[in-house]
Amino acid sequence: MNESRKKILEMLAEKKISVDDAYRLLSVIDSTEGGRESTSKEGSAVKSKPKYLRVTVLPDPEHEHSQNVDRVNVRVPMSLIRAGIKLTSLIPSEARDKVNGALREKGIDFDMRNIKPEDIEELIGALSDLEVDVVSAKGEKVKVFVE
Amino acid sequence: MNRPPTWMFIKIQGEHRGFRLWLPLFLLLPLALVVLIILSPIILIGVIILWPSGMGERALFVLPAAFGVFCSLRGLRIDIQNRRQSVYISVV
Repeated sequence: MNESRKKILEMLAEKKISVDDAYRLLSVIDSTEGGRESTSKEGSAVKSKPKYLRVTVLPDPEHEHSQNVDRVNVRVPMSLIRAGIKLTSLIPSEARDKVNGALREKGIDFDMRNIKPEDIEELIGALSDLEVDVVSAKGEKVKVFVE
Repeated sequence: MNRPPTWMFIKIQGEHRGFRLWLPLFLLLPLALVVLIILSPIILIGVIILWPSGMGERALFVLPAAFGVFCSLRGLRIDIQNRRQSVYISVV
């Protein structure tokens, strides 16, 4: 128990403050400490690097046809994604142009030559904020997240 | 670079039949190394032939890159199930 809480309880015992006042003061202390804790937790989450990309497809228990849904649970190590992206540098320029062209056709204006090792780290770092949560009409619950 | 994976577990379950397989990847690595040593003269000739076109350099980097991908497989888990069949692959 910290000093402020002790003081409030002492003041209550001495009847210097009412029960309502004590309750209000204690809740103010709680909210301040809770805020501090959550901020430190968020800070540590930002610092810790994501290790896996998870994709899950599970039946939505509230849906009537959910029993017919396929279950998928995939865990891809981030190091594999990193290694895969690095492999793009080995793609011959002709094949790379074809890939870029195909991406452009799909409306994605992206040049694979622009991928640099430092971008990979930034990309993977940005993935830590990723969270996709979709519930389909078929009764599938699709989740994409990192852990 | 990560430590190479040691085992791969594959489980395929059909409606009537299924199988489980523990693949000792740590045994495959020395085998792959022997094959690589045997094939190295051919690989070297191929790299020299391809060098003027610029593909030789890439071909030379393919092996370490492929080994990097192999080492990164540790922790991969794929689990797909439906009512009749299921596939489970895990690399440890």
